[in-house]
Amino acid sequence: MTTFIAPPRLLPKQSPPGIGTRIRNTLPERFAPYLYIAPFFLIFAVFGLIPLVFTFVVSLFDWNPIGQQTFIGFDNFTRLAADPRFWNAMLNTFAIFIISTVPQLVIALGLAHLLNHVRLRFATGFRMAMLVPYITSVAATTIVFAQLFDRDYGLFNYLIGFFGGDHVDFLNDKVGSWFLVALMVVWRWTGYTTLLYLAALQAIPRDVYEAAAVDGAGGWKQFVYITIPSLRPIIVFTIVTSTIGGLQVFTEPLLVNPATGLTCGAARQCQTLTLFLYEQGFGQFEFGYGSAIGVALFVIVVLVALLNFFLSTRTRGGR
Amino acid sequence: MKFRLAAAATVAVMVGALVTGCSGSGGGDDKTFQFWSFTGINQKADVAKYKEAHPDITVKLTEVGSTQETAQALTAALAGGKVPDLVLIQGDDLPNFVANPDNFVDLSTMGADDISKDYLPWVWDQAVAQNDAVVGVPTDVGGMSMAYRADLFEAAGLPSDPDEVAALWPTWDDFISVGEQYVAATGKPFLDNAGTSVFFQTVNQVDEKYYTPEGELVYDTNPQVREAFDISIKAIEAGITANVPAFSTGWSTGKTNGAFAAMAAPSWMLKSIKTDAPDTSGQWRVTTVPKVAGNWGGSYLAIPKRAANPEAAWAYIKEMQSPESQLKNFTDTGALPSTVSAYESTAIADYTDPFFGDSKIGDVLGKSLQEFKPFFNGPETATIGSAMINTVTDVEAGNTPPDKAWDAAMKAVKDALGG
Repeated sequence: MTTFIAPPRLLPKQSPPGIGTRIRNTLPERFAPYLYIAPFFLIFAVFGLIPLVFTFVVSLFDWNPIGQQTFIGFDNFTRLAADPRFWNAMLNTFAIFIISTVPQLVIALGLAHLLNHVRLRFATGFRMAMLVPYITSVAATTIVFAQLFDRDYGLFNYLIGFFGGDHVDFLNDKVGSWFLVALMVVWRWTGYTTLLYLAALQAIPRDVYEAAAVDGAGGWKQFVYITIPSLRPIIVFTIVTSTIGGLQVFTEPLLVNPATGLTCGAARQCQTLTLFLYEQGFGQFEFGYGSAIGVALFVIVVLVALLNFFLSTRTRGGR
Repeated sequence: MKFRLAAAATVAVMVGALVTGCSGSGGGDDKTFQFWSFTGINQKADVAKYKEAHPDITVKLTEVGSTQETAQALTAALAGGKVPDLVLIQGDDLPNFVANPDNFVDLSTMGADDISKDYLPWVWDQAVAQNDAVVGVPTDVGGMSMAYRADLFEAAGLPSDPDEVAALWPTWDDFISVGEQYVAATGKPFLDNAGTSVFFQTVNQVDEKYYTPEGELVYDTNPQVREAFDISIKAIEAGITANVPAFSTGWSTGKTNGAFAAMAAPSWMLKSIKTDAPDTSGQWRVTTVPKVAGNWGGSYLAIPKRAANPEAAWAYIKEMQSPESQLKNFTDTGALPSTVSAYESTAIADYTDPFFGDSKIGDVLGKSLQEFKPFFNGPETATIGSAMINTVTDVEAGNTPPDKAWDAAMKAVKDALGG
């Protein structure tokens, strides 16, 4: 090890700073780093910052895309605050987010643990199978689920009826439609999260488990005291990503109940914030109001992300 | 954060296109034009006919999606995208475009005034803007009828002959009683749903709907709207509906397997029964709706202002929507003509279809239009209509109590209109 450390220590002595090198540093070399990182900031400006600022500008207008644009100040926001449809969408978004994220992370953790088992046969096959729901088109998934859970002709309700129960009208029941949308989210994302956990699990040195086994710790104790603590960073990561994803659920509620248009049910049972934004912006063509929803959603995501950040730093500090 | 790209940017980028103002379609060769239609109305047949008559003209037909999706795509295109040369707009979506006529070619500059007398005046007038610009030419209208299953009616001990059935329900109250008899006899639902089959039918039988002829909003005070709404709630309370929303999965299946015995059938709906339930051929009948008169729907052809080839599009409109062509369209595809002469001849009155047991379809649809007094549709007609029908559906699903339904509907409309 010492032989590797030695040369850097000698380096300053060998090359004392000279005037010539400083001049060479000033011109192209000073700007080169900015040039290297420029693509990110340019792309961010074009696709992130400008739309964001422009959305805010539009939200201050009564903006008809094929007619007049009238400046109305913050009227769209006061209207939004008093709009029960907005608060309904907010409730739906958070409800669906919670009942999809929590089971998803728990199931993924369990599956990853199983897949990480040393003596599992066809491990690669199982691991690849995890990704099948993820690579399936969301639209196709949604249409199939909507048929499986159809009130009159769905397979699921057929089974309930077969065992003597009453058919459940998932689409017209608030909690039922939340459940249905959340189920699709879980189905799609669990495999993906499992693979993330699996990668992290495989990075845990096996000798730690062996040492624990020697000390007499069983499977469950190993899981609780070794696996979960080692996975903490990746768990925080998946919580953050699924928060962002969960607040943006769109395609599933859009397609699960197409008979009622863009509201995901006659009473907006499962209309999420992004779907409400889409309904106002591209269904009603109230671009100003739609943009105001976009700005509100942005603020919400930032707040939730900050909350996540504080919670995850606190857990780290507590260790 | 991914969100910025996903949600905020979609709105902003769309609008951004507006600012940059991308130019319209390129390629100014006058032998080719773009045509946007919605699905389910079989414009392909029309286009094929036109191509046959004019082998030198290329019509690029795009079936965008549902009527609403087509109107959305058109709005986005008008706001700054690539516009088609010709577009089909459904009647309920039309007022919003008529309110902003600058986006379209004023067809009177192309010679629309010469042909205007060929069309039913009230249908024509719906496409004329405040500044007298003619935005569209009507392709068809939505005469109303009730479709029912003769075999299921017989099984329930009801008459099955269209004339006898029509005699059973001169009013909507009678219609509900027939439904109750059917349910009592069979234990099965009578009607597909109260939203489209009762509310949308009755609310299209009025002579004043959500607006006064001057364009003032009266949806909340107009007794005719209230009456239409209440009768649909009454149908729900009578327990005669199957609570199967129109255009849902169960709706298509239900037509085949007798999940309901009757459903609303405006002229353009008849085709969907044939498509969704081909096995039930000969079992359906078509008869008059209670109160007979009414119009629900219909479509218009319009030319966006930035169209690359408006002349070719206008030539198409003029030829394919001439009184003779519309009559032929009716027998070929079922689109009920918007022309005056069609109702003066016997061509419509005599029309039947073996799928519907040779019911006098043309006679029924024609009668609903002859007795109908037209109403004014405003820019928010579609918005108000969907807020109200959603409330009806919600009552049917058991989420809103019937006695709170009207207040809930009014609140839903107010929210949708912006407080």
